[in-house]
Amino acid sequence: MLPHRSRLSVLVFLAPPLLLFGGGVLLPIVQSLVLSFFEWDGITGLDFVGLENYRALLLHDDVFRTAFGNQLVYLVICLLLQVGGGLLVATLLMTITRGREVLKVLYLMPAVISTPAIALLFQRIYSFEPEGLVNTLLGAVGLDALARPWLSDVSTVLTAVSVPEGWRFLGLYTVILYAALLSVPRELEEAASLDGANAWQVFARIRFPHIMPVFVTTLIMATTYALRGFDIPFLLTNGGPGQASELVTTYMYKTAFTSGHYGSASAISVIIVLECLVAVGLILLVLRRKAD
Amino acid sequence: MTSAPLAPPVPAREAAAPALGRRPPARRRRERPTGLRISRIVSRVLIAAVLVMQVYPFLWLLQTSLRDREDFAAANPFSIPTQLTLDNFSRAFEQGHLLRSILNSLIITGGACLLLVVCGMAGAYAIAVLGFRFSGLVRGLFLLGIVVPVQVALVPLFIDYSRIGMLDTHLSVMIPLAGFALPMALYLFLSFYSYIPRELYEAATLDGAGPYRIFARITLPMSWNTVVTVVMVNAIFIWNDFVFANTFILSEELKTIPLGLQDYVGAMGNTDWTATFAAVSITVTPLLLVFLVLNRAMIYGLESGASKG
Amino acid sequence: MKRKQFLALAAGTASLPLVAACGGSSGGAASTAAAVDGEIEPRAISWLLSRPANGPVIEIMTALAEDYAAEHDGFSLKLITTPDRPSYIQKYETLAAANELPELFDTDATPFAAKLNSAGRMIDVEDLLTQLGVLEDFRPAALDYQRFDDGSLRMIPLEFGVELFWYNKGLFEEAGVEVPTTLDELTSACEALAATGATPIAVGGQDAWPLERYVAYQPFRIAGPDYVTKLKSADAAFADEPGAASAAWLAKLGEVGAFQQGFSSVGYADAQALFTSGKAAIYNMGTWELPNLATSALPEAMREQIGFFTLPVTDGSVTGADEFVAPSGIGVAVNAQTYDPLVRDFLAFVLERYPAEYAKSGLLGPTGIDPVVPEDALPIYQEAIGVAAELGEATLMPWDTQLDPATNSRLQQELVLLVQGDVTPEQFLSTMDEALTTNAPKYFED
Repeated sequence: MLPHRSRLSVLVFLAPPLLLFGGGVLLPIVQSLVLSFFEWDGITGLDFVGLENYRALLLHDDVFRTAFGNQLVYLVICLLLQVGGGLLVATLLMTITRGREVLKVLYLMPAVISTPAIALLFQRIYSFEPEGLVNTLLGAVGLDALARPWLSDVSTVLTAVSVPEGWRFLGLYTVILYAALLSVPRELEEAASLDGANAWQVFARIRFPHIMPVFVTTLIMATTYALRGFDIPFLLTNGGPGQASELVTTYMYKTAFTSGHYGSASAISVIIVLECLVAVGLILLVLRRKAD
Repeated sequence: MTSAPLAPPVPAREAAAPALGRRPPARRRRERPTGLRISRIVSRVLIAAVLVMQVYPFLWLLQTSLRDREDFAAANPFSIPTQLTLDNFSRAFEQGHLLRSILNSLIITGGACLLLVVCGMAGAYAIAVLGFRFSGLVRGLFLLGIVVPVQVALVPLFIDYSRIGMLDTHLSVMIPLAGFALPMALYLFLSFYSYIPRELYEAATLDGAGPYRIFARITLPMSWNTVVTVVMVNAIFIWNDFVFANTFILSEELKTIPLGLQDYVGAMGNTDWTATFAAVSITVTPLLLVFLVLNRAMIYGLESGASKG
Repeated sequence: MKRKQFLALAAGTASLPLVAACGGSSGGAASTAAAVDGEIEPRAISWLLSRPANGPVIEIMTALAEDYAAEHDGFSLKLITTPDRPSYIQKYETLAAANELPELFDTDATPFAAKLNSAGRMIDVEDLLTQLGVLEDFRPAALDYQRFDDGSLRMIPLEFGVELFWYNKGLFEEAGVEVPTTLDELTSACEALAATGATPIAVGGQDAWPLERYVAYQPFRIAGPDYVTKLKSADAAFADEPGAASAAWLAKLGEVGAFQQGFSSVGYADAQALFTSGKAAIYNMGTWELPNLATSALPEAMREQIGFFTLPVTDGSVTGADEFVAPSGIGVAVNAQTYDPLVRDFLAFVLERYPAEYAKSGLLGPTGIDPVVPEDALPIYQEAIGVAAELGEATLMPWDTQLDPATNSRLQQELVLLVQGDVTPEQFLSTMDEALTTNAPKYFED
């Protein structure tokens, strides 16, 4: 704490973020929280129903239950691709000396392409009739038996809609983790190598502990984005076939804007917030215990 | 992409760990060059594979945008087109308002990023450097925002905006975009500020510098790397935002790129895909250019920061 | 009122008594009749619409608005365009919830629109058209499509079309099948077509509505238009005979491989390409696609091959072969809260000139004026237009405009499973009846 700070200076620095956050995020969230105790269709009056929206969702709504499970699978796939893949690619980038900067920008390319274009691309990649890329490649290596309409098969669709999201931001997490890896002091790594540590040991004992804070940030970022992930599944399959790729977020969107149950949709979003809080809490807990 | 990256070659590790330092140095030296060469080849191959995976979609996009409309409909979309045409680009310009959309997207992305950086820096400075009685509480409040799904805010915000007459302005899209990104930005700034040594501040205080001067002289100049990171990460999400723009923007004149792409949707959803792709190819360019420039800044900042210790 | 109340609540000032007090209609005692007195005061008005950005409707309306502005200084028509339907619906519902709907807004005759109507937020269009003396010009079928269940008319149709089954004569011949006259023949035709390796029916499953048309066919033939009217308020069940027959028929279609594999993720344009490139034999689509299907825009190889038939009947069908889906597209509703002499005068100006202008686009219009057939049209273009003149009384209302939204989205999802064989007809019926009884009574209670 700075000794010479004045109450005014704290206020000067704190006011803009509080205003932005309060007006743009907190206010609507509180309004939404209040709304979750009501039944409202947007046209006729509000009906106070207490916890009924929550009760109906948690106890009687089979779509919500399916969506909840799907969202967890979606989360795992996104984390594997984004954080796991990002860390691997960042480590690989450390092994080369030339062209790293260009590579990084090129890796970021999928992230800047508009979502509708990404969705359409993947629709074609997974397509069965006309034959898409995945099925063509399977055919080329003699695995025709595995060919299928990936987005229409209830057993593959969830993975199929998760992969594009994970793949898309791989470059972003690579860049962040790579920047962290660069900050690992060279001397430490060299000393470890001289002591006979192999590449894996250098990574596990020197690099990884050093980038831990950034890694945790990345993990939290990827987790919360995945728990809020929405647009690619929405555009690719709209939750189908059946509810096989329905996520909590797409279900919430539909509950609000297709079905017009704003109260129930607000209740879902409150649940998403809780879900994210639990996930972040778990990450911090596990990592702290590991650190001790 | 497979999920293998984090799975280490476990036996090797277990065998090597206890033996560390006990192994004869000569043997180690014999092994390392070949091992290195193989791992280097493997890593280059992997890097190239990832490169193909990440760049191919963009090439596909370009190729499709140069493809004849009927050819796209009838032929295998992944084959090389037999003839190239610029028709799609002329249709894209004719039917859409590409330049206007790009301009709007630039204004909104730029404005939101500015808002985000200013608020993120100021907030982190107040919490981490200045400090105050309820700073822990305020920090917690902000961090809570990391986990809030944006869709929840749509209807309440829409009603709020319509009440104060702010609907259909650039600002109405910037505020929630920056607001929802603020927690993550604040978090990045907070963790960065915790690395700035206390002694720097103490020395400055002894020289008689107040909180504003310290911010301008010490904190701000040291923050550029983080600023670039925050901007890069968020610009992507803001540039691609559809939900807020679709909700709060009503006029044609204010439409952003993701909204503008709908100009190619025809009757009952019959979409002119090749024109859409031509438009996407054009609209991707500004952000890519910004990235190329920022990327150098980020690397430079990070490396100089790292070498200074 | 409601909006303020919501904000007051949301701001945390507990105002529960207010909620209880708010039972009736909101928005004041707005009259929904079309008569209005007073001076015409030119101002800017807006129109929320979901139509192609470069389509004929927008082009004509923009031109007419410019003409009108030339006579009325200060007038302008601002378009709020969202061609993509899901994004449009989100915008529409948000605007409605905030009580910010513009002077004119597009809507289908959905239960949601019916709610807006009963809240007194729409002008009586039948009354308006009568007063303007143009009601008789409209095709009855075009107006009927816009009506709510109680027969009231609140939306002005700007388009019209009939939905036909386009087919590929060459593929039919190869499979040795005739044009089906009954729905069961359609199934066997699909089976024969599939046996030759062709895709029998191309359907854009991603948009959900093309497949949902099929679930309405059997009930419309077996029980007529009343079934869905009863079904939507849960006064009939999916498991009743018409619904059960429909489920069985769809399962059978799926079994014989009638739709292309992976149809649920195929978009509109791709499904059409499947048909126009000669890979699929049947394509169920409205006449708004005539410019793509019946002109020289069609690939050359297809021009000799294309034909069409109308919705087949069933044995003992209560509706005739000349009765099927004839939609007049999304309609224009007039906001009662902002209705004034200007809006009325502008509509009078537009409605007088629109039909003739629209006919020039070559598409069937909402009035009886014959469209100008384009020069590059194939002979089949005129034939398809001729169908519209011989329509019967009853109209098949697409179910997506009828059911409450929650039941409807469940139906769209379950249909895919049914056709793919992931659920049995029995499971489908019981899931749908459960969804219906949960959602419908709540939605239609007010």
